Amino acid sequence: MQASILAFKQRRYLWAALLLVIVCLLAYWFDDPQEPANGGTVLGYTLGTLGALMIAWLTWYGVRKRRYSSTSGSVQGWLSAHVYFGLALLVIVLLHTGFQFGWNIHTLAFVIMVLVIVSGLYGVYIYRQYPHRLSENRGGASRSDLLDELDDIDRRSRRVAARLTPEYQAFVTSGIQRTELGSTLWQRLQNADRSRIQLPGSATAVDNKGQEAAMDWLAEQQSRADADTAATIAELSALLRNKRKLLRQVGEDLRLQAGLEIWLYAHVPLTAALLMALLAHIVSVFLYW
Amino acid sequence: MAYLIRFISRNAAGGSEHHDRRIETSRITIGRSTDQVLHLKDRRARLEHAVIEPGDNGARITSSAIAGVTVNGKSQRDANLTVGDVIEVGANIIRVIEPPTGYEFAISFELSEEAAEEQLMSSWSTPTTGLGGFGKRKLSWALAAIVIVFGFAIPKLIGETFLQAGPLHSVHQGTSGDCKSCHVTAFERVPDAACIDCHTVNRHTAPPQSAVLGETRCASCHLEHNEPAQLINQHQGLCADCHADVPASAALPNAADFLDDHPGFQVALQRPTGNDPVDWHIERFELAAPGLEDLSNLKFDHRVHLDPDGIVTPDGNRVLACAECHTPDPGGARMQPIAMDQHCSGCHTLAFDADDPSRTVPHGDANAVVQTLVEYYSARLLGADPDEVGQRLRRPGQALTRADRDRAAAEARTKALEIAEDLFERRACVTCHTVTQTDGEVPWHVQPVRLTQVFFPHANFSHAAHATEVSSCDGCHNASQSDAATDVLIPDIDSCRSCHGSGDARRNASTQVPSTCVMCHSFHAEAREPYP
Repeated sequence: MQASILAFKQRRYLWAALLLVIVCLLAYWFDDPQEPANGGTVLGYTLGTLGALMIAWLTWYGVRKRRYSSTSGSVQGWLSAHVYFGLALLVIVLLHTGFQFGWNIHTLAFVIMVLVIVSGLYGVYIYRQYPHRLSENRGGASRSDLLDELDDIDRRSRRVAARLTPEYQAFVTSGIQRTELGSTLWQRLQNADRSRIQLPGSATAVDNKGQEAAMDWLAEQQSRADADTAATIAELSALLRNKRKLLRQVGEDLRLQAGLEIWLYAHVPLTAALLMALLAHIVSVFLYW
Repeated sequence: MAYLIRFISRNAAGGSEHHDRRIETSRITIGRSTDQVLHLKDRRARLEHAVIEPGDNGARITSSAIAGVTVNGKSQRDANLTVGDVIEVGANIIRVIEPPTGYEFAISFELSEEAAEEQLMSSWSTPTTGLGGFGKRKLSWALAAIVIVFGFAIPKLIGETFLQAGPLHSVHQGTSGDCKSCHVTAFERVPDAACIDCHTVNRHTAPPQSAVLGETRCASCHLEHNEPAQLINQHQGLCADCHADVPASAALPNAADFLDDHPGFQVALQRPTGNDPVDWHIERFELAAPGLEDLSNLKFDHRVHLDPDGIVTPDGNRVLACAECHTPDPGGARMQPIAMDQHCSGCHTLAFDADDPSRTVPHGDANAVVQTLVEYYSARLLGADPDEVGQRLRRPGQALTRADRDRAAAEARTKALEIAEDLFERRACVTCHTVTQTDGEVPWHVQPVRLTQVFFPHANFSHAAHATEVSSCDGCHNASQSDAATDVLIPDIDSCRSCHGSGDARRNASTQVPSTCVMCHSFHAEAREPYP
């Protein structure tokens, strides 16, 4: 699926976009305007109009992909064309600029457009890499399977702790309650484990990244406990080890999922900025014709 | 301060059990954040919702949350606590209980098992959207608004240069960045009137260009805000579009490309008409025409003057350089006129008496020459040295008689004419000038000289622009091989083509500079009288 977006229908949109780029390059090469190459020559206006129409059409993809009843081609085809014509746009608009840049609204529009295209390219990379990694990480299970498993470990931990003193019950409850994974986008992107735990006898919660503080405390208790208690504590430790593994797996799942979405937080708002910059560019060019 | 927190939980049988925790701290923090002492599992609680700490009258609770806390059924931001008070935060119920011995303050807290389960899942199973609370949509609006502010509001405040498509040319900086001085009306092209405000354009509208230009606006060729700046259209097509195919009736050869489609040069030379007074007129000739002569009436031998072995001068033997006579004008484009007193008289002195070499005759007027000589010799015979006049004896102080004076004057005139003949016909004038005999008191006529100043009146040429290490005077003019002033020492088109090529760089040899028509010619040519 992810490969077929680029290879859609024998890469027909790749060839179409390539043809468009070659035609524009040839036109630029053979054009010999009586002024320095710029957006105001006949070819400059042509490329500029083409670029603006392409930007409008590329933006329309955001609408088209939500029109589930639309029959104008498949979304897959639209995305394939979106990717290739988006790349072609870079060349076409570069030629439109005539390679004249400055500290002005026009270059700002160009820079924003480049950022949109670069973020889109990153999106293509993500879409080719992450779904594969995501399913590899889950090992055939779904995320809710992983979470159920995690819940199960927690339940079993409580049951084991119930056989010990209330101190252990409070310890387990605190460890469960203060498990924190991916509660902010930044944490998700980093796969940061922000879990904490309030160890018995302590007024404040300490960092429990990877359930390490909990396991250290258990190991300490185990060394001092009698044989029966030690066996129960060992059981609890084994559960926490599994929980650590699961947390890492869920964290990676959240990270990949966040990665799949995050680039759109650049791509979409930058597109909105681009539309405004394009408007400002066109208006100011004709305002000062 | 020692606090007791009694955690109450329900066991499987439905009964309740509790365990107590002793906390040595100055304050009990309550909230949803995991670093709080009393960690609440309720979304209605803030991260740091409330604090219980000792106050003036026992314990006191304060809340930073907008909703505050509910104490005994009454919502408030802060309250003093006494035993039996019930604090509600969301669904959580905290009771102030009688502190056992050894404690100063005690609360009980019951955690709902359901709330815990719910919270456990929710912290990471709900996809987080947005960056710092911003969704894609909000972010899009925000960025769009920023760009609009940059595009329209900021230029209004800090000046409109932010909207310029390219830098303003330095010659237009006088407008001090006021866009309206050229862009008179919004959404309309720059009108010619805006240019005419500062530029005199009478020559721009003279025929034949006016006929071709028609309604063309100034700004369609003279474009601002470009990099590289190009206010003057340098394009080959500016001229070649029409001159590549001139109608036969126009009696004008085609000129589309300097490299291989340009007629040979024509030189404008001065031609004397009549003898005296000489009337000069200008004629144009094909430079390549055989036997072409520059008729300036001067005799001059460049080869002798540029002899690499040197030439005899009053300062001894010296090798002359071109620049000693040919000095550029202040603009560096053309050469200043050659003048006898500046460039020639250093060597070609007009001294006439070997005994008195500092005395010279004036240059340029034959009558004045003879007059000067007569006065000189009269003075010598009559005043300064009376002994010169014959051998007649006089008493000291005795004046010359009239007859003596007449005789002396006649003698002075004879002597002057004798010297003049020598000057005109043998020694001085004749070296450079054509001298003819005439009737009259002064029986010599010197043909007047006029040197051509502008050989190519229809082309712009700057010597300064050609002062490079690869070009020498002789490289183009070859003066060292010329032994007559009638030689036209002007380089032909092939000489120029060794460096100047087509306007289209792709057609040129590596040594050739791309050269379009306007490099030498002006589009809006001024009328250049008296040149044909």
